[in-house]
Amino acid sequence: MDLVDLIVEKRFIGQEFLTWLWWKSEERGGVVALPGEGDIVVVFEKHMLLEYGEGESNEKLICRGLQTELQEARTGLTMGKKLEQARIQLAYNDYEWNFTMAAALMEFRNVKLPKTGGTESGNKNNPEEQEGMILERIFLFEELIRVMMDLLRVFLKLRVSAEWREELLKVREWVNKAERA
Amino acid sequence: MGFLNGTASFVRFSVEGELPENIWDFIAERVVSFAFRDIDDTYEEFSLGWVSVLNMFDSEFDFASYAAGNYVTLSMRLDERKVSAAILKKYVQKEEERIKKEKQIPKIAKSQKTEIKERIQNELMRKALPVPAVYDLCWNLENSTLLFFSTNQKAQAYLEDLFKDSFDLTLVQQIPYLCGEHLLEEDELDKLAAITADVFL
Repeated sequence: MDLVDLIVEKRFIGQEFLTWLWWKSEERGGVVALPGEGDIVVVFEKHMLLEYGEGESNEKLICRGLQTELQEARTGLTMGKKLEQARIQLAYNDYEWNFTMAAALMEFRNVKLPKTGGTESGNKNNPEEQEGMILERIFLFEELIRVMMDLLRVFLKLRVSAEWREELLKVREWVNKAERA
Repeated sequence: MGFLNGTASFVRFSVEGELPENIWDFIAERVVSFAFRDIDDTYEEFSLGWVSVLNMFDSEFDFASYAAGNYVTLSMRLDERKVSAAILKKYVQKEEERIKKEKQIPKIAKSQKTEIKERIQNELMRKALPVPAVYDLCWNLENSTLLFFSTNQKAQAYLEDLFKDSFDLTLVQQIPYLCGEHLLEEDELDKLAAITADVFL
């Protein structure tokens, strides 16, 4: 299958991952356990985009607001919509990233890197300092990707395992709670 | 922007294919061969190539300025002469009016209209200043992945072509399904290929 077909056919995997991660984060109040790392902070905030259907029947729902106002987005889930974009705060090891994840293509948008000495200062005319600054920014981008890949690994392993049914029931319970709320 | 300062948007690619043993020599040669060529003083419509991430006017790469540790950092620069549809329409109509007046004719033949449009388009294109666009990338040689700092799909298509031409390597966008190839075991991958969307309510 070529990439264009794969993107269309497997679009749901990224969206299910993001929806699952939202549930996982809310399950323990913004904390997710990552194997090998321990607890990390994953908070969904401010901006969400949910999607339903393909092509002409594609519907989108945009929700903005503080964390407590994501009720409408939850209600969107009860209508069968899936999460396509979300603004996430991710923190571990004294680092904090803010970024928007577009799920289907796994795009990282408007990524705000953790503030560190190396990325904030530095003499632009000194090649050594410049290389140091570049390497530090690369490290911070790659750390974010590594953590997100670890989370994706947890989801994918679960998604193809026998335990997924049980997990899905828990996610559904959470989604349906929004309807009753 | 975004790679070197401020907030950034990016997508990940895997780099598929074999690099020769003398990696850095190969990269040095290819980056310079496919470096950006300025079209400010020519009439060319389009130019695409590599420049330094630190300076869009540097396409010489003295001291291998693209190398940072085990990473290659480059910017893809695209300069393009464009004429907006509204401007083209205006000048074509103006020319048609001029000819009608000059020849004292009420209407211009279709074939001549086509000729006028092509001629005006060429004239305007020559006058248009090339509009630059610069997109950064960071290529990790150790794990053969690449971050491209734009979510613009047209720019991504240009990148895939330029990268292939420059290094004989193919870029494959890492959508979540393809990330699975690097995250799962063989038997899990077969299952992943078979699953269909689940309903979450």
